[in-house]
Amino acid sequence: MRKILTGIPLILGVTLISFVLMVHFGPDKTYDLLGKNPTQEQITEVRHQLGYDQSFVVRYTKYLKELATMDFGYSDSSGEKVSSILVRTIPVSLALILPGFVLGNLLGVILALIAAYHRGHWIDKIIMGVSVMGMSVSFLIVIIAFQIIFSSSKGLDLFPVRGWDVYSFTDYIRYVTVPTLASIFVSLGYNTRFYRAVIVEEMGRDHVRTAKAFGAHPIELLFKSVLKNSMIPIITRIMFSIPLVVISGSLLLESYFGIPGVGKVTYDAIISGDQPILKAVIGLTAIMFVFTLIINDILYKVVDPRISLK
Amino acid sequence: MSTVLDTSTAEVVEDKIGESMWSKAAYKFRRDRAGMIGLSVVAFYMLVALGVGVGLWGTEWSDNNGQKWEGVSSQYWFGTNILGQDIFERAIFSTKTAFEVGLVVAVISTLIGAFLGALSGFFSNTWIDEIILWLMGVLDSIPFYLFVAAIAFALSGFAYSMHVAMIATFWTTTSRLVRGEVIKLKNFEFVEAARAVGVPQHIIIVRHILPNTFHILLVQSTIVFVGAIKSEVILSFLGLGVKNGVSWGLMIAESTLEVQAGEFSNFYAASVLLFILVMAFNMFSDALQDALDPKKVST
Repeated sequence: MRKILTGIPLILGVTLISFVLMVHFGPDKTYDLLGKNPTQEQITEVRHQLGYDQSFVVRYTKYLKELATMDFGYSDSSGEKVSSILVRTIPVSLALILPGFVLGNLLGVILALIAAYHRGHWIDKIIMGVSVMGMSVSFLIVIIAFQIIFSSSKGLDLFPVRGWDVYSFTDYIRYVTVPTLASIFVSLGYNTRFYRAVIVEEMGRDHVRTAKAFGAHPIELLFKSVLKNSMIPIITRIMFSIPLVVISGSLLLESYFGIPGVGKVTYDAIISGDQPILKAVIGLTAIMFVFTLIINDILYKVVDPRISLK
Repeated sequence: MSTVLDTSTAEVVEDKIGESMWSKAAYKFRRDRAGMIGLSVVAFYMLVALGVGVGLWGTEWSDNNGQKWEGVSSQYWFGTNILGQDIFERAIFSTKTAFEVGLVVAVISTLIGAFLGALSGFFSNTWIDEIILWLMGVLDSIPFYLFVAAIAFALSGFAYSMHVAMIATFWTTTSRLVRGEVIKLKNFEFVEAARAVGVPQHIIIVRHILPNTFHILLVQSTIVFVGAIKSEVILSFLGLGVKNGVSWGLMIAESTLEVQAGEFSNFYAASVLLFILVMAFNMFSDALQDALDPKKVST
């Protein structure tokens, strides 16, 4: 409960900074909504409708009120209800990102365990070398290359180039495979390196040496003595990437593969100045962050009972 | 046996020559093969970038001299793009763009990170620390690409809005690291001694504490440099990046059209050059980290 209270300054800060940037300085929509040669009355009326004529403080408090009630009104561009846009797009982004996110972290941990166990050996060197190479390839290049390799007529031509016509599970697999492979490829290097550093540190501890001396089976040793004790940094890393992954989705994947997810919607909203959508997405991200912090602390407690929640 | 003896005496001699942390690090770094390769590649790229900067080469990057999609020839080393521009010239010119972005972002964000990190570390658990921590938390919780897009719009027309956005988000990591180190440092005897002699606080921070965080700043600025170059590519692709000139990101963005037509030279040129630079920088940065931080786990 105290955590929620300490989260309030964070929410206020995120919303304030983003509000100033995206709403106060954002594009002016007045003339998009007016016909040709508008009269002065029409201009003032539209500005009033959009809320441009109110002072900054009034608009910001109104925004906080909207955030508290979770009612963001209607999109300026399409007239659709903001909540229904989000309900439509967030699941798409989640479905797109989740497999890559889970597999990327899982494979990262597994490779890190293998590398750390064979520390200094050639297996370790190969894994780490490939990780650095993976880290050095730009996400954009991976996306384009994978699209050529897997989806174009010059490559294997196995999957659709772009789009998201998902009605069944096989459709889903067809559309999600290439983006998933790309995101695994890009995140794997970073993940493996990070997890390896954590695991190597844990492996140097006394209890691991003792377990080794007692002849514990390598698998048992890695999972029971090492992995369990290095859960805290692992959890922290995973948890803190969740809010960004869920709300902003992967803008790059969505825009390159033409997938109607929340990242694309938000990006379009910034470009066109669709303030209701922006307000909703920014606010939700901030709230998600605070919840992540809280869940993170609870998970710490689950993993390590010595940590108290106070 | 004799060889073992030899190396040990050699190391003793080295130890005597330089006993500071920096000379030891330099010695360790010179023996790191991957790090030295990385450094030389980066130095070569830097030379190319400097050459572009003073106008030695890469000057014809925007001239449409050739035909559309000409192949590789002695005149056009990497062929030409959709507009008949020389891809080699463009790729070379982009080296300058990449270094410009990397250097500007790395230097400024490291300076900000060092300054604010030192402040919040030195005054930890006071309101100054609270405010700086709050600011870092806030900046970290805004999705990066959306933040950049928003800044690009808020500063509409300003050619360096991308730089501003990257600096605004990249300094927080540096700042956190510096803060942790400063909290450790400020309880050391030399700081206490300085305080006892009556050295003012701002001079303690600048003279006695910040120089001792320099190794963190150096490593972190190489990491930020790589991050900036990589982000530039993605931002330029999204249309939020480089406004005047050409960059690898813009070249890749162009190439997405050409790739569909089966013309890969633009894509290859930009992505291979980018990959080599980032890879070399990563190797350099790793070696630097190993040399400067004895506690860091590696190999």
